[in-house]
Amino acid sequence: MSIDAVKRPSGLTALANPTRFLALVKVLLPYLWTATLILLGLALWMGFSVPDDYQQGRTVRIMFVHVPSVWMAMGAYMVMVSGALGVLVWRHPLADVAARAAAPLGAAFTFLGLATGSIWGRPMWGTWWVWDARLTSFLVLFIIYLGLMALWNSVEEPAKSARMAAVAVLVGALNIPIIRFSVEWFTTLHQGPSVVRAGGPSLAPHFLYPLLIMGLAFLFLFITLHLMAMRNEIMRRQIRTAQRKAARSHQSGGQKTSKSTSETST
Amino acid sequence: MTSLFGTKYFGFIVSAYGITTVVLLLMVAWILLVHRSRKKQLARLEEAGIKRASRSNG
Repeated sequence: MSIDAVKRPSGLTALANPTRFLALVKVLLPYLWTATLILLGLALWMGFSVPDDYQQGRTVRIMFVHVPSVWMAMGAYMVMVSGALGVLVWRHPLADVAARAAAPLGAAFTFLGLATGSIWGRPMWGTWWVWDARLTSFLVLFIIYLGLMALWNSVEEPAKSARMAAVAVLVGALNIPIIRFSVEWFTTLHQGPSVVRAGGPSLAPHFLYPLLIMGLAFLFLFITLHLMAMRNEIMRRQIRTAQRKAARSHQSGGQKTSKSTSETST
Repeated sequence: MTSLFGTKYFGFIVSAYGITTVVLLLMVAWILLVHRSRKKQLARLEEAGIKRASRSNG
């Protein structure tokens, strides 16, 4: 094996170089946006073409935005968990960037899950909100997202903030299985799982397919926005480094000037 | 396509899709605005002669 082959990074290691990562993002973004918009258009058309549900009537269409929002809210958290492991175990330079960039997106999707669920719940359950296990654990997820964002912003030193947030992300991950299984472990007003369940989905195919396409559209949207948010976070760090460099050179310049002044005076 | 207008739950369906659209658009706008502002900041720093590590090396 040549020395060149040993030195040249590949795969995830190659992406540890922010410049290389930013170049890749630049290439990928137009394709991702195109795929997202096509999938969103298709999912909306399919969603509004379905017949009314025999029980829920036309409100069943709220499912096509509510369920994918919930999937993305939990998916974003799993991205943060991978980022946290990347920080603590592999110390990958982009791991904290990925985790930090996913937090506001996850918070937005969690908010959408709560809001659309509430809007759907009013005509179906007769109430906007109930403190059952599923709704409460999902609200806790929203609070966790806000707490993590506050934590990242409150600690100035990057390595310390990355480690602290990574530990907090892993502790908060305990809530994910609680959300997932809350409808099975407790008696809830929220219905049980109807897509990812033993024995296959219980949804009729004419509701299932638009839902899956919308789920895919939301996934592409999340990936696109996450890459854009990661790019912003890398730029924030570049600005911070450049500003520190400027401050240091300014300081050393000042010291040199004062030293030469004192030498001249003696 | 089934018409939704005038149905009993029209307001709920429109609200759910409306809030989703607004939140997603705000998210996209926020990310784009932050990107534009950081790009400007980096350009200003480079104009001032402060180069990023990756650029000063290459």
